[in-house]
Amino acid sequence: MFSTDKQMGYQCLVSFFDLRDPTQIESSEPYMKIPCNESKITSAVWGPLGEFIIAGHENGELNQFSAKSGEVLLNVKEHTKQINDIQTSKDMTMFITASKDNTAKLFDSTTFEHQKSFRTERPVNSAALSPIFDHVVLGGGQEAMDVTTTSTRIGKFEARFFHLGVEEEFGRIKGHFGPINSVAFHPDGKSYSSGGEDGYVRIHNFDPQYFEFEFEA
Amino acid sequence: MPAGSRAHGLGVGDSPPPCLSPESPTERGRPSSDPLPMQETEESQAAAAGAEGAESAEEPEDDISFSDPEDFEDDISEEELLGDVLKDQPQEADGIDSVIVVDNVPQVGPDRLEKLKNVIHKIFSKFGKITNEFYPEEDGKTKGYIFLEYMSPAHAVDAVKNADGYKLDKQHTFRVNLFTDFDKYMTISEEWDIPEKQPFKDLGNLCYWLEDPDCRDQYSVIFESGDRTCIYWNDAKEPVAIEERPRWTETYVRWSPKGTYLATFHQRGIALWGGEKFKQIQRFSHQGVQLIDFSPCERYLVTFSPLMDTQDDPQAIIIWDILTGQKKRGFHCESSAHWPIFKWSHDGKFFARMTSDTLSIYETPSMGLLDKKSLKINGIKDFSWSPGGNIIAFWVPEDKDIPARVTLMQLPSRQEIRVRNLFNVVDCKLHWQKNGDYLCVKVDRTPKGTQGVVTNFEIFRMREKQVPVDVVEMKEGIIAFAWEPNGSKFAVLHGEPPRISISFYHVKNNGKIELIKTFDKQQANTIFWSPQGQFLVLAGLRSMNGALTFVDTSDCTVMNIAEHYTASDVEWDPTGRYVVTSVSWWSHKVDNAYWLWTFQGRLLQKNNKDRFCQLLWRPRPPTLLSQDQIKQIKKDLKRYSKIFEQKDRLSQSKASKELVEKRRTMMEDFKKYRKMAQEFYMEQKNVRLELRGGVDTDELDSNVDDWEEETVEFFINEEIITIAEPE
Repeated sequence: MFSTDKQMGYQCLVSFFDLRDPTQIESSEPYMKIPCNESKITSAVWGPLGEFIIAGHENGELNQFSAKSGEVLLNVKEHTKQINDIQTSKDMTMFITASKDNTAKLFDSTTFEHQKSFRTERPVNSAALSPIFDHVVLGGGQEAMDVTTTSTRIGKFEARFFHLGVEEEFGRIKGHFGPINSVAFHPDGKSYSSGGEDGYVRIHNFDPQYFEFEFEA
Repeated sequence: MPAGSRAHGLGVGDSPPPCLSPESPTERGRPSSDPLPMQETEESQAAAAGAEGAESAEEPEDDISFSDPEDFEDDISEEELLGDVLKDQPQEADGIDSVIVVDNVPQVGPDRLEKLKNVIHKIFSKFGKITNEFYPEEDGKTKGYIFLEYMSPAHAVDAVKNADGYKLDKQHTFRVNLFTDFDKYMTISEEWDIPEKQPFKDLGNLCYWLEDPDCRDQYSVIFESGDRTCIYWNDAKEPVAIEERPRWTETYVRWSPKGTYLATFHQRGIALWGGEKFKQIQRFSHQGVQLIDFSPCERYLVTFSPLMDTQDDPQAIIIWDILTGQKKRGFHCESSAHWPIFKWSHDGKFFARMTSDTLSIYETPSMGLLDKKSLKINGIKDFSWSPGGNIIAFWVPEDKDIPARVTLMQLPSRQEIRVRNLFNVVDCKLHWQKNGDYLCVKVDRTPKGTQGVVTNFEIFRMREKQVPVDVVEMKEGIIAFAWEPNGSKFAVLHGEPPRISISFYHVKNNGKIELIKTFDKQQANTIFWSPQGQFLVLAGLRSMNGALTFVDTSDCTVMNIAEHYTASDVEWDPTGRYVVTSVSWWSHKVDNAYWLWTFQGRLLQKNNKDRFCQLLWRPRPPTLLSQDQIKQIKKDLKRYSKIFEQKDRLSQSKASKELVEKRRTMMEDFKKYRKMAQEFYMEQKNVRLELRGGVDTDELDSNVDDWEEETVEFFINEEIITIAEPE
């Protein structure tokens, strides 16, 4: 499944391919296309059992499209600006959305119930959920075209770690020279990587304190 | 008979009766369009008579007669008919309005009478043509008062206005009054209506915030690019909101000098708020108001609007009485470039403004010019009031042979207490120390024979006899200058970027001004002293990346160096305990926030506010304690600090307890949610297995059996180590 951008006269579409069907691959014809008229889709992931996809739109809406029929099963609008990234948890029961409105929000995959919010001062470009802990990492920064007007001092762009339960930040990792565009946890949860506007991909292994960290409660 | 011609059916100014055809007036010689009813009746009667008499001379169509029936009697009074004309009817009382009575006229005998009359005539014909005069006499001498009649009442009014108070000679000062005034004053009713008591508006305790048991200060924050304004208590842990209102102001807010009122700006004017609930206390209607200024005593408000000015009615600047809300006086204003145009004396007794070559000083509460005239000072460039007394300092640039001068003038006596000549002056700036103890005049000069500009500081010691002046010569260009409030030190930022230095000087009592210390390689362009003195913050605002240096000037040590990137403003709280540095949305569109620091430079809070615009501390009124009481408190400070420290510890633990509680509940809720999700996930395991053809993908090591382990060796490096040399 992939979505296409609204560019050059083409409409925004979500295309569904069944990889088991060789005809679809040869002819590049998806078995289903969902047009998206109002607000283009900016990010989309599969739901837990392949029954639906979760799509984030330019206006901050989240839609659950059925993978069989293409109809909208659920719709919520919690974000006020474009959704930049959606990533699911390891068990796919919940997903995290990163938005230009400076927040990242946690939702339940099947009900789309809004669970938690994580607030920053900069647009969030990407967010990832740790497979082993209740942690989320947020990467963001200024809009790519505005970078020259902010601090270009070395390593000022940070990846920020929040605790899911408490919605509080507990750590930051500096190092990027430009806004962070994508973050991902290693499947074993012992490291994470981030890629940024500066053209660097950084891989970080967590130190022992990370694994021992706990909020006083 | 046609109804329309009845005179009493028409009022003055009514259109002619409908049946009157347009031709007929000219035919019959009637007046056109709006005839006066009486005239018309006469005319119509005459015409009718004529018509009756001479049929052949008229148009056959007009056989209507407009005359009243024979036995008609006017049942309408003359006033009704002729009201407007009667008004102009000459009255007996007419002409009295043009008569004036002049008292305190010398009493002279007939020999000097002619001379007296000439003198009077000369003086009083200035106001108009005198048509009549009467010098009543008694016992051969004039009584001492005379009557003069003018051509018109306007002249009489003019005479009263200008001749009243005229000093003829040492013993005789004319008192001039309108004759009709006597009448007015004599017929004052015996009964006196007690003026209606206006209900007392209890505004509450306007100074309630000073009584805060924790001694917290308040500050106003405008954020969301001006849409929301909020007032906070400054609590060291985090700000406590008192009152937040959307669209409280349309542009920005101002506190009054003693902190009693908050002024908000609106298209229609200014509103003042205060008291515990920030209720609206007063409203001032001044369309399009842009700038305001308070008098230091908080009695008056000056507002400026470029819209309202007309030639006759100066409304550009209005001065209001705050307590009553009344307009006291309006002024013209060409440009608001150097606001405040009106500068107030420290006690609010006087306010002054400078126009070209003139200094106008007004006094309150009358709002009139002091001594009824302005001061003519040729070439006056700038002036300012001393904050410690009613003294104005002003300077005048060089004029041909006369050197530039700085003058100190005492008011209201207008006595010049000090004049200082300055040579080769390019520009001057006046800097008063907060208590008025010292005046510093920053003089930029081009010494003879050189090209460059050199700066001197002329320090006037106001509290010493005859105001001695000491000079400090500066070798470099000056970026900023600031007096220590309550003290006798000043700080100067000098140099050219990037080599900027800060120097601290002490004005000593023995007539010397000592340079205490200089720090160079500073990143700073503004100096912010604590309002209590001793501490200051050097800030590099805007282009200098928000570098901050916290200095203790008692021994000139740097306490801390920090940074608030892109900071646009620095504000000390009125007690000098805290400093706020902020990034305003008006100057920078990202990272809008305000940070709270202690006076030593320790960062306490970072408060991000969506599109934060402005933070203003609420000023405090001057302390009511005497100097002795303050000394006593400082002695007992140890006792007080113990109590405060205990309080702080208690509140700290309370805060962490609250936080811990909150975190615990959030965690538990989340854990519950996760448990539910986990269960759901486990239930679906079968479905997953099915979808993936029996392959368990739940864990990374779910399918260890599927893994093949392969050991690979590859060449990294070759190293040859010689053990022993072969023999």
